[in-house]
Amino acid sequence: MSRDKLLVVYMTLGYPDNGRYLEFMRESVKNGADILEIGIPPKYAKYDGPVIRKSYEKVSGKFDLWSFLPETRKVIGNTKAIALTYLEDWVSELDSFLTKLKVAGLDGVLFPDLLIDFVDDYQMYSSKVREKSLNNVIFTAPSVPDRMIMEVSKQSDLFLYYGVRPTTGIPLPITVSSLVTRVRNLVDNKLVVGFGLSDENDLRKALKAGADGAAVGTAFIQAIEKGGVKDAVDLVIKLRSILDEF
Amino acid sequence: MVNNAEEILPKYWYNIIPDLPKPLPPPRDPLGAEFSRIDLLRTILPKEVLRQQLTIERYIKIPDEVRERYLAIGRPTPLLRAKRLEEYLGTPAKIYFKFEGATPTGSHKINTALPQAYFAMEEGVEHVVTETGAGQWGTATALAATMYGMKSTIFMVKISYEQKPMRKSIMQLYGGEVYPSPTDLTEFGKKIRNERPDHPGSLGIAMSEAIEYALNNHLKYLVGSVLDVVILHQSVIGQETMAQLDELGEEPDVLIGCVGGGSNFGGFAFPFIGNGRGKKYVAVASAEIPKFSTGEYKYDFPDSAGLLPLVKMITMGNNYVPPPIYAGGLRYHGAAPSLSLLMKEGIVGWREYNENQIFEAAQIFMRTQGIVPAPESSHAIRAVIEEALEAKKTGRKETIVFNLSGHGLLDLPNYDSMMRRIVKNEQR
Repeated sequence: MSRDKLLVVYMTLGYPDNGRYLEFMRESVKNGADILEIGIPPKYAKYDGPVIRKSYEKVSGKFDLWSFLPETRKVIGNTKAIALTYLEDWVSELDSFLTKLKVAGLDGVLFPDLLIDFVDDYQMYSSKVREKSLNNVIFTAPSVPDRMIMEVSKQSDLFLYYGVRPTTGIPLPITVSSLVTRVRNLVDNKLVVGFGLSDENDLRKALKAGADGAAVGTAFIQAIEKGGVKDAVDLVIKLRSILDEF
Repeated sequence: MVNNAEEILPKYWYNIIPDLPKPLPPPRDPLGAEFSRIDLLRTILPKEVLRQQLTIERYIKIPDEVRERYLAIGRPTPLLRAKRLEEYLGTPAKIYFKFEGATPTGSHKINTALPQAYFAMEEGVEHVVTETGAGQWGTATALAATMYGMKSTIFMVKISYEQKPMRKSIMQLYGGEVYPSPTDLTEFGKKIRNERPDHPGSLGIAMSEAIEYALNNHLKYLVGSVLDVVILHQSVIGQETMAQLDELGEEPDVLIGCVGGGSNFGGFAFPFIGNGRGKKYVAVASAEIPKFSTGEYKYDFPDSAGLLPLVKMITMGNNYVPPPIYAGGLRYHGAAPSLSLLMKEGIVGWREYNENQIFEAAQIFMRTQGIVPAPESSHAIRAVIEEALEAKKTGRKETIVFNLSGHGLLDLPNYDSMMRRIVKNEQR
């Protein structure tokens, strides 16, 4: 089914355990996720909020990355899946890391620190990702200057990721609609808004202001903590229905 | 100038973030953090202040109520030509200065104290808390709080508290409670005092105390410098200056300001930088706190206790103990992230001057223009004099504009002690 608005579902790899993680991924796809973001625990989750940071701590060391990633591919069929991880951790072995991602069945990668910590060389790293036939989804934020958002929007594959808050999952008082309205005019690509967008009103405002989709993560982790995979899947269904209003 | 005050006073604050050459590294929590410092900001800052800190729109409307107060305190401040200084130097350069010392509190700090206090009052806050270095920010906070019917508590760096008793008196007259930091009112203050009973204090320590005090007593904290929201509010300085220069038919070549945390420089120069006006921008710091020449560009805490989120800035390190110098407002260990980025990119240049150099500059300015500049602002004057003399050498007819961020009438004890030290050194 072709939908107008993209639902990008984030989950930390292997959270809360391998079985429930795979169940959530499978059910997310069945219930309306368009793209999956798989969080690979980094050494220092500097741009993540406390909920996602705790999820990393919980799963660290509980799986073998390269044998477990292909398991995800098996349960999600052809749905696009991108790895979300910090370039900082892989930069010294980037070539082999990207090759392994491809072999593991991933479609792309999103490095949240690419434009922040590696901004002087981001084009070089972007090229390396593409050379491996992977999609390179670029993360931007309100602190990225307009000129640069315009520039990278064209280079971001699948969509441009725009995080509206400086860190994930903390409900800071951001006027989402004015941010999205401003950035919409700069982006010549699909614009997916994320980082703390689980609030229904905020989500509707973002979509009304011209976002092409939403990326949600923290809320799924909180839902799993509270009521297990079922609650998290119910949230996928709810978000899908909100996106389909537009 | 009074007749068209409403036209000169901007209706929007200007934010440079969308116009920076590179992304501003976002604030972040430290590795292995037990709690989120970013989350903590929600507790201590008025909601609208936090929104403006994080919402990176290029222009943000100034509420009518705040504009009215700006007018009431004498904004727009005058843009004056330092004709006598030009003649004294024999320079072909034209020198203009924006006189922020013309506000009731004697410095630019009131420009952000008013909106922050207004936003706090709007959400029903009855008591605000802050820190102050030289005393200007504390004075502005005390006045703004009282103007909006709120109480204020101010942690004043101990060395300034001792050196500037009149600043303390003004804050108290405005209704502020003033304490010399480090105090025994907070755990962090007690820790510092135990380690070093004669500690002169620092802005980083006072900031940590104010934040801890705000948290423990459920008060709201007002921010004096460094954060983007403060520079945003201070943009009234630069925008007014632009409008005033336009009225005069002048185009600035060089823009100069001193830097403690960076808010007066940013507020003055960023609207010019963002609009592509001006050819050269110079930030001036104290050579005794040599953050530009020896500081590192890295993630660091804005406060000494590490309660605020890490930000990427030029810094001497949040544990740095600055020497007790003649310009308390310049003792801060870092520079605002946006200013640091612009300096790192080579867009904003820098200078550092020592006590002797700025004393000489201050005296020249006093004797030619009649205004006693704050010792902090005298750093900018020193740079202006050097720039003007350079123009004399090369015959350049440039227009130099600087921000005289505050007057020094309450810094006379500082100037007295400077005079004594300098005379003593000359006699040796």
